[in-house]
Amino acid sequence: MKCTGVLLTVIALLMPHTLQAETPDARGLEIAAQADKRDSGWQFQSSDMEMILRNRAGKESRRKISTRQLEVNGDGDKTLSLFHEPRDVRGTAMLTFSHGLEPDDQWLYLPAIKRVKRISSRNRSGPFMGSEFAFEDLSSQELDKYQYRYLRDEACDRYQCYVIERIPLYDNSGYTRQIVWLDQTEFRSIQIEYFDRKDELLKTLNFSEYQEYPGGFWRADRMEMTNHQTGKSTTLLWFNYDFETPLKSGDFNKNALKRLL
Amino acid sequence: MIWARRGLRHLQLLAVVLLASAFMSPAPADVSKQFELSLQGQFFPGLSADSADNREQFFTGIEAEFSSDFDSDHLIGTFLPYGRVASTGGEMSRVDIRELNLLYTQDNWEGIAGISRVFWGVTESGHLVDIINQTDQLEGFDGEDKLGQAMIRISRLFDQNSVDLYVLPGFREREFLPPDQPLALPFPISNDKPLYGADNEAQHVDFALRLSGYQGIADYGLSWFSGTSRDPEFIPESTGAYRPRYPLIHQAGLDLQLTLDSWLWKLEAIHRAFESDTVTDDFTAIIGGAEYTIYGLADALFDLGLLAEWHGDSREDRATVPMQNDLFAGLRASFSDTQSSEFLAGVFSDLDDGSNSFRVEASRRILDDARITLEAQTFVDVDSDNALSYLEDSDFIVLSLQLFF
Repeated sequence: MKCTGVLLTVIALLMPHTLQAETPDARGLEIAAQADKRDSGWQFQSSDMEMILRNRAGKESRRKISTRQLEVNGDGDKTLSLFHEPRDVRGTAMLTFSHGLEPDDQWLYLPAIKRVKRISSRNRSGPFMGSEFAFEDLSSQELDKYQYRYLRDEACDRYQCYVIERIPLYDNSGYTRQIVWLDQTEFRSIQIEYFDRKDELLKTLNFSEYQEYPGGFWRADRMEMTNHQTGKSTTLLWFNYDFETPLKSGDFNKNALKRLL
Repeated sequence: MIWARRGLRHLQLLAVVLLASAFMSPAPADVSKQFELSLQGQFFPGLSADSADNREQFFTGIEAEFSSDFDSDHLIGTFLPYGRVASTGGEMSRVDIRELNLLYTQDNWEGIAGISRVFWGVTESGHLVDIINQTDQLEGFDGEDKLGQAMIRISRLFDQNSVDLYVLPGFREREFLPPDQPLALPFPISNDKPLYGADNEAQHVDFALRLSGYQGIADYGLSWFSGTSRDPEFIPESTGAYRPRYPLIHQAGLDLQLTLDSWLWKLEAIHRAFESDTVTDDFTAIIGGAEYTIYGLADALFDLGLLAEWHGDSREDRATVPMQNDLFAGLRASFSDTQSSEFLAGVFSDLDDGSNSFRVEASRRILDDARITLEAQTFVDVDSDNALSYLEDSDFIVLSLQLFF
């Protein structure tokens, strides 16, 4: 034990030298790539989510959604979201094939009229279900969607964090840049600050109550998004994370949207 | 023959009872239940006072949905009964089964048996390709409501495509609005016994085949239907009334949507061929147009969609549908508020005679689990030869409240 401790100290003492040789951009990309690598290989996952929307006066409204995701090698993930509440949209399903920098393919199933509609994914910066989360905040986070820059190391929450800046490279983003705090041991997102098109601080997202799942994948059970400009906020609570029940590409078919329970 | 027919009816009834009782059994597998209560007022301000009876009408409806997977990974059962009571009573009050079916899935195969509803197509202002279900005319003027249809469907799903084969027994007649209803057809209908193109009449079994899928920006569907037309012809009788006749048809359909950034380009086209002993000529009809959306207007308060769709029909003036050379133009505003407010305003214009009909739809969520909807339509400068001329005084406002629990 002691030996390992000494070894780690030696490595830590050596590291600043190797870092200084790197540009902030290369260092930022390296950290983002490490975070991306740590969250690769889960293949499929499903979970339930409750969304609590709060306006400036503190009035709440709720949404309940279950999601299924399929990891796609060499392309963005496939995501299926099934809406349970509010009850007037119960049974509505959204299927998204994300493609990194290219526009996503997206379909919406409307159960009342039994209709599957292909919809434009142009609206990345628009709010998701009236919440403080934009579609782009909840979409598949691929490494090549941003340009990165290492800013500094700093304590965040109860972790020691890397602070990196990322600039969206995809079209139609609502942000000029984001600042991301990643913990240095597990490379989990702890906080994200979003800057609007005028480069003013718009929102802060805080991740908490992280849990580790088989395969070493970490998921936050709680996400708090605060809009500093409007005073509104949205809380996401995640339940029933499942990395075990197999999902296959046939479960993410636009013609299979009609058979979801 | 009559006995055979009655036998089939009894068989259908038996199937309904058996499937329904599967959901009601004392120890069912996990059955999910959902209910929708709707309260609706319909107002016809343009009608003269002597038809005052129906100038205002009120409806209370309830739709229930029971579904279960019967503790199986492969089965889903659905039972969706619907009923409503009308202030005017009579035929406007009704009970119907919109869905009662069992869905079986196995890998890339899917099969459904029972009463179900199916939608095909892409356009907004009209639906040509959609043919499986009979239109429910008692529920709404826009033709969006459909009656359940008995069917067996077998589907094979591929990565980006799907092939569906339908066998459709048990034809359902169109239910016409009673003659004292403001939006009723302008001529008396002998509705006691319709005529059929098929020798075995309503017992004729129809078939349909559909290939649908997507490739890049294109979503497409190719369909074929062979059987009894859901749209009746009207045969004049010596009494001056008209008797509906459902001819045998073969119909090919195409639907296509291209999704290009903020643009959605849409096309539906059909060719309908009639069996020889009919009064209607074969025809081709299309609806084509586009929707362009401007996102995040007024500080991301709403998205504004601009829609235009043209309706064409090779029968031109002889078309039994009002849309033979007509343009729909409209605006759609989708708000990003927590109530998901929506607003749609549009005009249908007959490009031959200048008749116009304006339509507005608005809705928003209230009280967390309810939705309020306003729908209004007015008919302006309707040419006396236009198929909609009988609606000149039938401007209407419909106010609905749906409660979900």
